[in-house]
Amino acid sequence: MLGLFGTLDLASRSLATQQEGTAVAGQNMANVNNPAYARQQLNVQTSAPLDTTAGEEGTGDDVVSITEVRDSLLDSQIQSENSATGSFTAQQSALQNAEAYLGEQITNTSGASAASANGLAAKLSNLFNSFSSLTTGAGDPAAVVQSAQEVATQFNQVSANLSQVQSNLNTSIQNDVASSNQDLSDIAGLNQQIVLAEAGGGTANDLVDTREQTIENLASMANISATAQADGSVDISIGGVPMVTGGSAVNGLQTYDGGGGQLLIQDENSGTTLAVTGGSIGGSITARDGALAGLQTSLDTLASQLITQVNNTYSAGYDAAGGTGQPFFTGAGAADIGVNSALVSDPTQFQASSAPGAGGDTQIALALANLATQDNPALGNQSLTQSYAQTVSNLGNAINTATDQLNTSQAISTTLANQRSTESGVSIDEEMTNLMQFQKAYQASAQLVTTLNAMMEIVIDMDDPIST
Amino acid sequence: MRVSNSLFTNNFLAQINQLQQQQIQLQNQATTGLKISLPEDDPAGINQVLDLQTQAAANTQYQSNITQLQGAATTAATAMNSLQTIVEQAGEIATEANGTTTSSQLANYATQVGTLIQEALQTANTQDAQGHYIFGGTIDSQPPFVATTDSSGNVQAVNYQGNTEVSESQIGPGQTVSAQIPGANTTGSGPAGLLADSRSGADLFRDLISLQQNLISGNTAAIASTDNPNLTTDENNLVSGIAANGVLQSTLESASTAATQLGASLTTQTSNLTSADLTTTLTQLDQTQTAFQAALQSGEMIMNLSILNYIQ
Repeated sequence: MLGLFGTLDLASRSLATQQEGTAVAGQNMANVNNPAYARQQLNVQTSAPLDTTAGEEGTGDDVVSITEVRDSLLDSQIQSENSATGSFTAQQSALQNAEAYLGEQITNTSGASAASANGLAAKLSNLFNSFSSLTTGAGDPAAVVQSAQEVATQFNQVSANLSQVQSNLNTSIQNDVASSNQDLSDIAGLNQQIVLAEAGGGTANDLVDTREQTIENLASMANISATAQADGSVDISIGGVPMVTGGSAVNGLQTYDGGGGQLLIQDENSGTTLAVTGGSIGGSITARDGALAGLQTSLDTLASQLITQVNNTYSAGYDAAGGTGQPFFTGAGAADIGVNSALVSDPTQFQASSAPGAGGDTQIALALANLATQDNPALGNQSLTQSYAQTVSNLGNAINTATDQLNTSQAISTTLANQRSTESGVSIDEEMTNLMQFQKAYQASAQLVTTLNAMMEIVIDMDDPIST
Repeated sequence: MRVSNSLFTNNFLAQINQLQQQQIQLQNQATTGLKISLPEDDPAGINQVLDLQTQAAANTQYQSNITQLQGAATTAATAMNSLQTIVEQAGEIATEANGTTTSSQLANYATQVGTLIQEALQTANTQDAQGHYIFGGTIDSQPPFVATTDSSGNVQAVNYQGNTEVSESQIGPGQTVSAQIPGANTTGSGPAGLLADSRSGADLFRDLISLQQNLISGNTAAIASTDNPNLTTDENNLVSGIAANGVLQSTLESASTAATQLGASLTTQTSNLTSADLTTTLTQLDQTQTAFQAALQSGEMIMNLSILNYIQ
């Protein structure tokens, strides 16, 4: 049988267990607002029983382990949804930037219908209307040149701004790559520590929480594949190429110039191109090389067609002094379109006539005005302004698609986060209740110690013949 | 289902955020009165709005062109009417000269015709408000009619240095007119010359000069047999020109009416696409605000409940 000292030992181990319990409850409550934290629980087991003639006698309890409540399936779902959310967020943001720079915004204009008065559509319209005003013989070539300059400037500015958006995306990709490499190296470090800590038995709960948070952060930047190993470490690979194996970061991400200053991703060791399809890196690349590149191309095509069509018609015209053959627009695309500088300095050189010496002949101006409604095979058989309106509409659609996908992804992320919170989140009410349980148990065990102490005093007193 | 502290607060924050976003959007619509602002608001709609605004701006330009051309047509009509008066006066002189024998009377008539020639020359060289000569075809920077005078100061010939080309001006979608008139057309094809045209045989200055010369030389027979009938031909030719001007003005009037109607239609179409229905918007805003208040209130109630309130 246990005897007094055995029972005292039982009581003292119980006190330790209940203390441990309150510590775990305290730990949980302290971390109630830590989003990366998974609640921990004390695993208690009855200690090895003593064989006696009366059968097995219990010897109290022992703390077996402190484990955390975590669902690894949920964790991996959250990682992959983080990649999706990161990607769509990056895409939506880039495209909305482009929309702002494009400058087509409908506002109320005083005395007229609502219109997008400051964008390229309005400026192109002004240009063709100014050509039309010349057909009455009362138009002002200076006003024509002015409206042409506004068109050219708008093209230049939008083109430059879109290039800036692409350049910003490249910078953001580089920053994300640096962050990702840092995360990879952090994960490797944590793997090492976790393996060491768990080698002696038990689970390194707090290190695992930190590692999971780091992995989720990495996932929001690039689509990863995380595989748990038997020794407690997690291997990470990106695009099929191993990046973290056990405690070492064996590889990393690197940017390289895919042509024209557009950055793509390769791995550091072998320089193999990696297809990063998720996360903010993947999203930035998709937006940059997809919708943004398409928008830039459409604008260039539009500018190039405008230059060609106008110049072809215009160069056959004659100005008041009989001069002919000059171009109206200079440049080749949206970035460099401009108005012939000789014409800017002297708008009277405008070649409006179809024959020399006939100042009342405005047939070239009429032909130029008619370009507004002419269908252009290079623009899908649409006119210049129709083609541009289509481009604007396409951008709107691309943004809506990204927004819808983002909303869906965020809804899924929220659901998963809620599930994890249900599973692993701390409830103050629950912890307080547990705390009270352990407190009562502690009181009970302390009472046991007091009782045993009193009993032992009686035993000791029994041996003393002198005291009464 | 287990409920943790973070589950409740995260949900609460997400709902508040969503309601605030809705409020901002509706409030924006109510303030601007617009339901489309950016391409992403309605991609198909903005395509149509851009098209409508282009049409509306073009329509405004057509109206401006029409006004300009109406002015030019009026100026031309005034000049043409003056010329018709001159031709009629010359015709009367030609008729009266037939029965006159006094050389002093004939000399008197010759002087009057001389004056008529000068008036006709001046009128034929009318300029518009921009200083363009209106009866030279597309050559408008120099007087279309140039006179050469003999030693006695009488005009002996008037030459036409304009051309027979006219330029078209835009007055509507796919619609053009020309307000230009060649003063003379001896080529046999193209627009009719106002004062001289080989097809009708008219040549006002030739005939006026001939009349003056015949009056000076006293050749009343030639006046009767040649000048008088020629002047009739000249007047008929001029009247055709006046009629054509009338057609032009009427075309411009119709085009102006059509442009006004088109403008109104485009305004309505644009408004249908872009205007927010204020009643609906305000109702939705009210509902959203009510939901927002309810969310805040219920959130506050729940967040205040905790076992800690009850533990001594």
